Amino acid sequence: MSGTRTALFIVIGVLILASAPFWTSQAIVFLIGLTLIDAVFALSWNLLFGFTGLTTFGHAAFFAVGAYATALALRMHAPIHFLVLLAGVALLGAVLSVLVGMVVLRRAAGIALAILTMALGEILHIIIGYSVALGREDGMSGIPRPKLNLFVTNLNLASGNNYYWFLCIVCALVAGALCWLTFGRVGRVLRSIQQDPERTAFLGVNVARYRLLSFTIAGAIAALAGGLYTPWVQTITPDLADTFRSAQPMLNALLGGAQSFWGPVVGTALFALVNFSTRTLAGLSELVVGIVLLLVILIAPTGVMGLLGKLRKKRTEAPAAEPSAPAAPRNSSAPMASADAKLAPVKEGGQ
Amino acid sequence: MLFAILNGLSTGAAVFLVAAGLTFVFGILRVMNFAHGHFFMIGAYVAFSIIGQHTDSTLNYVLVSLLAGAVVAVLGVITDFTVLRRLRNVDHAYMMIATFALLMVASGASKLIWGLDSYSISPPPAFEGGFSLSDTIFIPAFSAFVFGIGVVVFLVLDVVIHRSWVGKIMQSVAHDSWMAGQLGINVPVLYTGAVVLAFFLAGLAGGLLLPNQGLSPGLAFSYLLHAFVAVIIGGLGNIRGAFVASMLMGLIESISLVLLPNVPGLTIYVVMVGFLLWRPQGLFGQGGAH
Amino acid sequence: MSQAIVAEGVGKNYGPIPALKTATFRVEPGEVFAIIGPNGAGKTTLFKVLTGEVLPDRGRVLCGDLDVSRMPAHQRAARGFGRTFQVARVFGNSTALDNVVVAIESRQRVAGKVAGRWYQFRAAPSVIEEAMQMLGALGLAAKRDVEARFLSHGDKKRLELAITLALKPGVLMLDEPTAGMSPSDRHQTVELLARIRKETGATVLLTEHDMDVVWGLADRVMVLNYGELIAIGRPEEIRANKAVRELYLGEELEHA
Repeated sequence: MSGTRTALFIVIGVLILASAPFWTSQAIVFLIGLTLIDAVFALSWNLLFGFTGLTTFGHAAFFAVGAYATALALRMHAPIHFLVLLAGVALLGAVLSVLVGMVVLRRAAGIALAILTMALGEILHIIIGYSVALGREDGMSGIPRPKLNLFVTNLNLASGNNYYWFLCIVCALVAGALCWLTFGRVGRVLRSIQQDPERTAFLGVNVARYRLLSFTIAGAIAALAGGLYTPWVQTITPDLADTFRSAQPMLNALLGGAQSFWGPVVGTALFALVNFSTRTLAGLSELVVGIVLLLVILIAPTGVMGLLGKLRKKRTEAPAAEPSAPAAPRNSSAPMASADAKLAPVKEGGQ
Repeated sequence: MLFAILNGLSTGAAVFLVAAGLTFVFGILRVMNFAHGHFFMIGAYVAFSIIGQHTDSTLNYVLVSLLAGAVVAVLGVITDFTVLRRLRNVDHAYMMIATFALLMVASGASKLIWGLDSYSISPPPAFEGGFSLSDTIFIPAFSAFVFGIGVVVFLVLDVVIHRSWVGKIMQSVAHDSWMAGQLGINVPVLYTGAVVLAFFLAGLAGGLLLPNQGLSPGLAFSYLLHAFVAVIIGGLGNIRGAFVASMLMGLIESISLVLLPNVPGLTIYVVMVGFLLWRPQGLFGQGGAH
Repeated sequence: MSQAIVAEGVGKNYGPIPALKTATFRVEPGEVFAIIGPNGAGKTTLFKVLTGEVLPDRGRVLCGDLDVSRMPAHQRAARGFGRTFQVARVFGNSTALDNVVVAIESRQRVAGKVAGRWYQFRAAPSVIEEAMQMLGALGLAAKRDVEARFLSHGDKKRLELAITLALKPGVLMLDEPTAGMSPSDRHQTVELLARIRKETGATVLLTEHDMDVVWGLADRVMVLNYGELIAIGRPEEIRANKAVRELYLGEELEHA
């Protein structure tokens, strides 16, 4: 998938989404907005899970930090440009992740890491719940949507669908940035770490540092998602930080396919659909989601995108031999080397 | 303060009843069942459905709890066949997420069947009141009962695992299931047996502990987290460790309630985090069902 | 770039068991040094200590003048230690090309300058070209887009070699490079290794069970048993060594 094609795909997606207010109700538009934010959140978690091999159960803590920080700033009508505020919130998330990551990643892995991050998330959940400044169990409400100073004009995000369009654009940009990261150099290293950390170390890569980097980026983006969330819903409560919220991106990513970049987005959308259609009966959505997730893990661990990928492969493999793979080498009896190809090329480009 | 200590022992015993099953399943199947707390809760709900908020007969209370245990054990068998069995050789991450999905299924089903309300349940009359050790020390009978149950269960488990032939077989399966199979032990049956035991214990605990803390949808999760703490600190798969750790935890929690009343619940997580960072393998190291 | 490797009194215990008691030897720059011995002799442990996979309990490892005994694996790799594993470890979900690209980019990163502009996410053309050259040299050019987990055993070993060579190591550490290969593959691997040695001048340490390979490639051979050095010297000396012959009693030391 080339860069320009991806960018085009994103732009078209954004345009379709942006048109939503014109063909559906405000309630649905609200849900779409939530889904966009959740999708970004899921993408940030999957950076850790699908592309670095780290399983955390406390990711919502960063989201909550971002949400509450934004709430405080907006409530106090802090005279900061909204984009600067968002950047600041992301930075806060990054700093927090670095601090937590430095301690946690070195000491725990696998199950221990999962439980440790779960505990840390719950600790934050409890702290927020007891903090008077943050509204205790009731949280904070009545948070205004800010004005966005775009230099040529002042866009009032509180009016009409402006915030929704803002969301569309920002989420698309973040997704695009993550895509660039995942498929670029850093992403290649991360994916190697996910597949075989020891082997990657033997390539000269400081695995711990890259894991920390991934953790930091994921935390920053989660905080950013939280920052986008607050003005959209305008009321926030401490259970933004609880373990169920932390598990949400996990479900989304797995449903859609954790090994595919866009999997989490697909999963979030599907999940939102399920939630919406089962919203009338308390507990039904949990039940359905749980069953679906179990089925995914037991039968199709690569999720929806994985299944689609397999189908696509079947279709292209069916006819004759692929043109790119010439007939000869079926196994290791192929002639080994051409005499001219040097094993230690003398001249080269970028070394 | 003394009251806090006694209370803590009782709480610790309650947590142990849940933690025991959790750590046992891990020791034998190597699966960390995130849904364990919810099966405990289902046991509680089942018992509640039969007995209601108040019961007169201690015998009924105990019988219903046993029945709840049996119901949950059956659920355990179903779960084992459909889910747990397949998670043995799967990557850690997927195993945890699968049991988390199981948690959601259990949670969703409970909400659908029993709704979202909370109930408080009073213990059978035999346990109301208590007895005084002296002028200042009053021990609620029910707390003593809970503590007693915890100790009894622990002793039974300990004897079974360490001294009976069944226990020895379980230990060998936990240690090296392939070899055990080669030696003629019917490993799949043993696995199912372990699951049945652990789930029965959870269901039984659910019924017995009803009057302890009442019934609410958040019950499962709070017990789960506490059980995690106990299991981690005690060492995964180590029942003796789980017992000691649960007691320790109960004590820490009730003492912190006295010393730091403003942030209840926080201490225990902080302790666990500290522990995981300092000594990830637990106080006693990982067990294989011992 | 190739350096002398020195081990001084290196030892490693696994619990109470001394897998490696004490080993002292020196490998000259550019030479091919083979480590042989029965299973359990400590070859793999020694290897792990030399490459940094495991830290020694006793003794020192020096690379040139630098004491690398406590240096973690990734730093040693960054200093030019290339390592292959007995069962080839490659990145199964990535294509053969990507496998080599990651190695090249890592080398460039260590050197301080990665090719290509930072905002591009594809690998730079020069990197891809170098990767293709490497794949070609190892006969894998046609499989550049195949995901590594679909490669045959022999291909995986070659891919691993490609990855390792892409790092331009001064020291190549090969753990049973011909393990599990068919005779013709083995022959080709030996030729390849000889070529590598000639063209890159790297110091090569290898462990092997196949004596053919050892006699064919090694400048010097070291024999381990029960974690101790039994003998060290040129192949002819080793073949004539009584202790070694006793050790391999019943095994063929001569080949047609």
